[in-house]
Amino acid sequence: MTESKSCYTIDKLEGYAVLQLGLKLNISGRKEFEKEIEGLANLYLIVNCHLLTSIPNDWIRLIVRLQQLVKKSNKFLKMINVTPGLIAFFKGEGLDTTFKYATDIKDALVDTGLALPAQAGTAQTAPVKKGLDTDFINPFLAAAANVIQVSSNITSLAGDIFIKQNTDVLPGDVSGVIGIVSEAFVGSVIISFPEKTFLKIMSNMLGEDVKEINQEIVDGAAELTNMIFGQAKVVLNNKGYGIKSAIPSVISGNNHSFSTLTKGPIVVVPFNTEYGGFFIEICLSN
Amino acid sequence: MFDPNTKILIVDDMLTMRKIVKKIFRDLGFTNITEAHDGKDAWEKVQTGNFGLIMSDWNMPVCSGLDFLKMVRSDKNLAKTPFILVTAEAEQHQVAEAIKSGVDNYVVKPFSQEALKLKLEATHKKITIRNSAQ
Repeated sequence: MTESKSCYTIDKLEGYAVLQLGLKLNISGRKEFEKEIEGLANLYLIVNCHLLTSIPNDWIRLIVRLQQLVKKSNKFLKMINVTPGLIAFFKGEGLDTTFKYATDIKDALVDTGLALPAQAGTAQTAPVKKGLDTDFINPFLAAAANVIQVSSNITSLAGDIFIKQNTDVLPGDVSGVIGIVSEAFVGSVIISFPEKTFLKIMSNMLGEDVKEINQEIVDGAAELTNMIFGQAKVVLNNKGYGIKSAIPSVISGNNHSFSTLTKGPIVVVPFNTEYGGFFIEICLSN
Repeated sequence: MFDPNTKILIVDDMLTMRKIVKKIFRDLGFTNITEAHDGKDAWEKVQTGNFGLIMSDWNMPVCSGLDFLKMVRSDKNLAKTPFILVTAEAEQHQVAEAIKSGVDNYVVKPFSQEALKLKLEATHKKITIRNSAQ
């Protein structure tokens, strides 16, 4: 059952309830909400804080009271979709340890054994996605261009994406490699640079003229891969991919090439800069 | 802002990243900088280092930045050391976990000199307020 109020909604579901807080939490809404918190005391409570960067003190007091009530029933209250701004607000108010957080509803309910109903309205979580499609690849394109631009002030443009064939040789002089692991698939991302491109990027990053690939700078390829993977991972996990963190590694040597451990197709994204190209290989298999 | 003589510990398993961060700190006027290559190495260095600021990468082998942060916060002699985590993956649950563990601020890689300066100013302000309230 969904009850709509002026500044909040409550979705009462099987065994739990989702309290959606609106952006304008006012006094009249708080008075309405105060009347119905007793009816929520026997449920697991999930407070959806989507887009909020602060919560008025009178609302916080009420949520704390509600948290105490559900605790008496051996249930819990967890906040989801908590923005960095709201976390900073809680910390500023000395409330950073007051509430428990979860990423989403599924994560919040993981300890309860409750199954999510199929028709849960706003309570539905994104299904775990899988597959090497544009939805998966595009965040890597955006992340690569952004990371190279911010870290080295070099503009890179993505070329036409293609599927790597057995006969294709895409040698690089230095490459960063990182594994992709999720519940649905495994794979890898490889970012390979020819010497000329890599030296220019590293020269700009370090603020000094780097003339050769050596042990002092070679791990820069792994770091670039880590940053590109990290930015893409945030976007993909917000879409429900569930990718886990991994440690990158680096491979160097003139004109080296790769054999991937997974058997899926390999998508190649070539990039071009005014100092030369580089390319990203993405491979997934279920 | 932190005093330019503040003793700073930069922790990162990537030599290149340590060089980049060190250069940015130097460009901001800081001169007293020490490096560590992971949380374990950093833990040994903080025992005698008397550092005024720790800036640690999150994703490291052997001992992660988060584990190192927890070790620092649980040591009564080190617990109040200003601590900034550096991460390439600013996911909400990660940020929440870091704050819960007592981090003072976090920076998302890659970052510019100006971005780090703003983070340092915000961190210093937060710590000053915290210390004056105690």
